[in-house]
Amino acid sequence: MKNKSDKGENSCSRREFFKIGGAVAAGLQVGAVAGAGLAAGKDPSTHTGWQHLGDNTQFVDRSKMIRKGPAYEIVGETLRPEMHESAFGRQALIMRDMRQYREMIKSFDAGEERQEGMGNRRPVPQGETSPETTGGEKSTKDDTSFPPVEAFKEPMLSWYKNRPDLYELDKLRVEEIMPKKRKDQEAYGEYYTLINAWSDSWSTHESITEPPEESDFKIGRRKLGDARPFKSPAHAAKLIKKVAHHFGATMVGITTIEPDWCYNYNLRGSKERGSYEVPKHWKYVIAFGVPHQWEQVNSNPNSGTSFDAYSRSSIAARRLETFIKSLGYPARRHSPMDGYDLIAVPYLVKSGLAEQGRHGIAITPETGSNFRAAFVTTNLEMEIDQPIDFGVQAFCEHCQICADICPSSSISKADSNEGMNTRGYKHWEINQTSCYNFWMQSMGGMGCRLCLIACPYSRKSNWLHSLARKVDSKDPTGLVDNGLTYMQKNLFEAPEAHEYLPPPDGRFANFREPPEWLQVKNYLDIDVNDPSIGD
Amino acid sequence: MITNLVVFAFIVGILTGAVVVGANSWALALGLRMSWWRWLLSALWYILLLFLLFAAFTFMGEGEVAAGWRTIGISVVLMVILGAGLARILLASRSHPDS
Ligand code: SF4
Ligand code: SF4
Repeated sequence: MKNKSDKGENSCSRREFFKIGGAVAAGLQVGAVAGAGLAAGKDPSTHTGWQHLGDNTQFVDRSKMIRKGPAYEIVGETLRPEMHESAFGRQALIMRDMRQYREMIKSFDAGEERQEGMGNRRPVPQGETSPETTGGEKSTKDDTSFPPVEAFKEPMLSWYKNRPDLYELDKLRVEEIMPKKRKDQEAYGEYYTLINAWSDSWSTHESITEPPEESDFKIGRRKLGDARPFKSPAHAAKLIKKVAHHFGATMVGITTIEPDWCYNYNLRGSKERGSYEVPKHWKYVIAFGVPHQWEQVNSNPNSGTSFDAYSRSSIAARRLETFIKSLGYPARRHSPMDGYDLIAVPYLVKSGLAEQGRHGIAITPETGSNFRAAFVTTNLEMEIDQPIDFGVQAFCEHCQICADICPSSSISKADSNEGMNTRGYKHWEINQTSCYNFWMQSMGGMGCRLCLIACPYSRKSNWLHSLARKVDSKDPTGLVDNGLTYMQKNLFEAPEAHEYLPPPDGRFANFREPPEWLQVKNYLDIDVNDPSIGD
Repeated sequence: MITNLVVFAFIVGILTGAVVVGANSWALALGLRMSWWRWLLSALWYILLLFLLFAAFTFMGEGEVAAGWRTIGISVVLMVILGAGLARILLASRSHPDS
């Protein structure tokens, strides 16, 4: 009897031990999982592509995403991009005509806008085509009047007559936005000291000064040697991708040249400023990209910069150009710091690196829109890649996050891109001019990039976002699209569109706070005015 | 990184063993007649709890603190509702508690 009761007591106390032990273990497991989650979120290896070199850096296997058909549906007469169409390209023409107009009315001050266009900071040298590196001239007077339409010469005269909406936006920028920007700069400029230093530190450039028939066939002053034959185009493509990764590219794709997607003006190094024939030796385009620094990119639009990724992709382009030339093949780089002769997004789509989103820019599977592209054109024969489909088109139709957050309402809120026609090609299009006007209002490293980072695809590649992207791309019903969009809008906090504007309409908000190492109050002993607090 | 993962997997593995033994003891103590599918439902509930916690803290780790707290809030509500349903199913099978 005694033994039996002892046994019962033993089993009871053993069970009590297991019960308590199990409960404690469950508590510990919950704690361990929470800690692991925290570590997974912080993990710097989720900063895909940032300062990550090596030839195995292509993070995504695109062969499973290939889609049939051309990069874009053609919906009209296809045309090459003209200078006056783009808000950035138009600057030089506006300046030319404003200068003459002001000379005419004896109040010369053509450089004003350009000077201010750099965010009131020291101008960088002229000669680049990227919008944030358009250079500056010394301003002399305070005249901010924008000439009447009739004072402009061709092609601006016809352009403004056909697009009075864009004339009004350009006029608004010159007459109201820029003078206001000067005042904001005086009031809050110091607050952005570290951001500006960080942004400036990346701005290196190396202009191309000779036309393609010369510069593409030389390394410095040395003429190219004989072209070294490859075993096959597939071998050439494989090697080029490997070295591009070593040179710093995060993703690389290869495609063929499409003359429609080469600018129809200002061929770099050429004395001719107008239309030109696309050089015959530009047969292939190597497209690649590099992300922005992942901690810092979230603090767009007023505490961000484009120059970190601009600089890194441009340096990779210089290296790749030289590598190809050293093998005896002509090559030319097209990059943010050194200028482009071609438009970026269509080549990113055609080379299978990305799809084009509602915000008009490219979205890649590995870094979303968080990247900057560069290209090398060459006649080295390589195996080409195909456009991909990982669900962006369908997702954008449900999402609209970028359109809702855009401070200048430049992004379409249409249900789809049906009926859109950009020089004959169907894809999402934005109002570049109102977008550019917001750039001129923003502080810090100049520009905006808010749609780039607010896009759900631009989240870091931790397990959670990677899983969401993977599941979404496999769902044909659209249910996952809706679920993820709902979660994006309701879980994540972000300021409202107007809060990104200057005071008094907004407070120079950022999508997220800048990292602590770019906050003046943590490191510098200077007085600053925090625009979110006011004077 | 790999070393950390191995250590983490080891610790979680040991804890999982203890949780399973503990759960069995609780089931016996409460007099639950646990069939395979009741065990499966219970395991799914627990895994979902861990998954949601993992997700919430990943958000916090990447700096999305508000999203992390919201996920925890939603998870608590969801897990309480599912937990109540699970408890009903388990308790329906109850015999006399084994004291
Ligand atoms: S860059 Fe800024 S202003 Fe321009 S479209 Fe994107 S969110 Fe709008
Ligand atoms: S934010 Fe949404 S709608 Fe905009 S580009 Fe990204 S996925 Fe498309």
